[in-house]
Amino acid sequence: MTHLTLTDISKQFAQTTVVQDFNLDVKSGEFVSFLGPSGCGKTTTLRMIAGFETPTTGRVMLGDVDITDKAPNQRNIGMVFQAYALFPNMTVAQNIGFGMQINKESKSAIKQRVDEMLTMIHLEQKGNSYPSQLSGGQQQRVALARALANRPKVLLLDEPLSALDAKIRVSLRAEIRAIQKKLGITAIYVTHDQEEALSISDRIVVMFEGKIEQVGTPFEIYNFPQTAFVASFVGTLNTTDAEIFNLSKKLIKIDGVQLETAEDLGGRKKGDKIKIAIRPERLNFASVEKKANVFDCTIENITFLGSVVRVQVKVGSNRFNMDTFNNPFLELPKIGAKEQITCSREAVLILNS
Amino acid sequence: MRRGNVVWSWFWMILGILYFFLPLLATFLFSLRAKLGVLSFTAYVNIFSDPNFIYNFSYSVLWALLTIIAGILILVPTAYLIRLRLPQFRTPVEFITLLPFVIPVIVYVFSLVRTFSQPPLLIVDSPVLLIAAYTVLSMPYMYSAVDTGLRAIDVRTLTEASQSLGAGWGTILFRVILPNIRAAILSGAFLSFAIVIGELILAEYLVKPAFAPYMNYMMQQKAYEPAAMAIVSFALTWACMGIIQFVGRGQQGQIAAGH
Repeated sequence: MTHLTLTDISKQFAQTTVVQDFNLDVKSGEFVSFLGPSGCGKTTTLRMIAGFETPTTGRVMLGDVDITDKAPNQRNIGMVFQAYALFPNMTVAQNIGFGMQINKESKSAIKQRVDEMLTMIHLEQKGNSYPSQLSGGQQQRVALARALANRPKVLLLDEPLSALDAKIRVSLRAEIRAIQKKLGITAIYVTHDQEEALSISDRIVVMFEGKIEQVGTPFEIYNFPQTAFVASFVGTLNTTDAEIFNLSKKLIKIDGVQLETAEDLGGRKKGDKIKIAIRPERLNFASVEKKANVFDCTIENITFLGSVVRVQVKVGSNRFNMDTFNNPFLELPKIGAKEQITCSREAVLILNS
Repeated sequence: MRRGNVVWSWFWMILGILYFFLPLLATFLFSLRAKLGVLSFTAYVNIFSDPNFIYNFSYSVLWALLTIIAGILILVPTAYLIRLRLPQFRTPVEFITLLPFVIPVIVYVFSLVRTFSQPPLLIVDSPVLLIAAYTVLSMPYMYSAVDTGLRAIDVRTLTEASQSLGAGWGTILFRVILPNIRAAILSGAFLSFAIVIGELILAEYLVKPAFAPYMNYMMQQKAYEPAAMAIVSFALTWACMGIIQFVGRGQQGQIAAGH
């Protein structure tokens, strides 16, 4: 299946630049998510791939073919929309078979493909129903089948689960991923939900203010954020200002507390001000296990979140959140108590602004 | 709602109904008096057996159908294009479509006669001019109905979904957009039908056979038959309104649930 390349893509609306310096190479069969807050340019970029927006600069290549100036109906790209966009005047079967009818395929071929799609989305009995007779989740599955029925080269999904309730979102995103893997189709998925992106993507493109902040696997994005925005947007994070204390030993100081980091401090010198981050789940009580960094804190608050217990601690003048798995046999400290907490060198991340 | 308000509401409603229906009732009763001393449908029989009535009414129906087709072909793509690509033209186009309310028909028809009665635009005798004139006259109703229908559907997303499946503009318009604004088009169509059937001046001055000029002629010749024709005209208009209501109710639910 096909390879998608976006080279030096930018988009301007009047005086506003909404996408700039966008470069991405998507492998055949890969599932890539564009993740970012509203207004970051992810949907605009998707629409440029689909052909609904023309890039101000840059090229979109599908395999060896430059599709930048091609009309949307000539790109053979399937798209699933947030608002489902099913045709209300057509049955489920007619919706799914619409693209094949446009391509003037035979009635038997259309019927066979429609039946295949209905089986794939587990709606075999709903072929003669109208979209108004289906639930939101069912409608979105039909929209997915319709986009795939035509055997597109790339599948684009623009926040397809945003209009659905939380439980349906979780089950449907797994279904989308399973179908994509089974068909081996290249997919681009736009979402502002980090959990969605982390759970189903091969790679994530984190965007902010029209630019790519970081591209990586979910593991890389979450555990090794390269910018302050990525670190704060993906997952919860403790961030604070720090100062480089010893370059060779990779020691930094936060408010008098000394910490060791595994990150590369190259290009900096002693006394340089930096920003660091530590994930709440990388902190733990030193009484449970001791790691490279051990420092004193005061317990400020304890919140029970079900499977996770969130402990808010004060380290110097900084407040950190520490997430620990709920353990009914573990005695939690009292509020106001002095404790020691610990984290590994690898847990201390240096953020690029 | 307080009891006093309910009583007054009923009072004003009954008064309004009487205000509108009493003259109609009087007309209907008058139309039944064609035969001396007895109430009968003689006037109605006379009308429907008059070959001139059939001739003129048939032409009115033909003009109405052609007007509806012309209106759909011109105004549906216009409203669609404005909603999809040219929202900045919405206000000026709406203003233009409302001009028939402002310009008196007599002024309109005289300017048509003057403009199209000499070369190179010598089409004053052609029915094309009458159809075009009727299309303009029914424009406020047809455009408004179509625009309302387009507002009820997500035109942009449906268009983009169609394009992503390989559809061209013709397919999008005729297989996706039109079927989903069917109720709105029918509303506009029936309103246009009622306008054309009841319109007098254009057909009279462009010298074409039509129902309203025939009724006008009969009013000068006879007494009871024009009253019967007025009742028939009202009945036709109400039938059109009834069909609009029936069709509109059915499709609204389908589109709303589909969102």
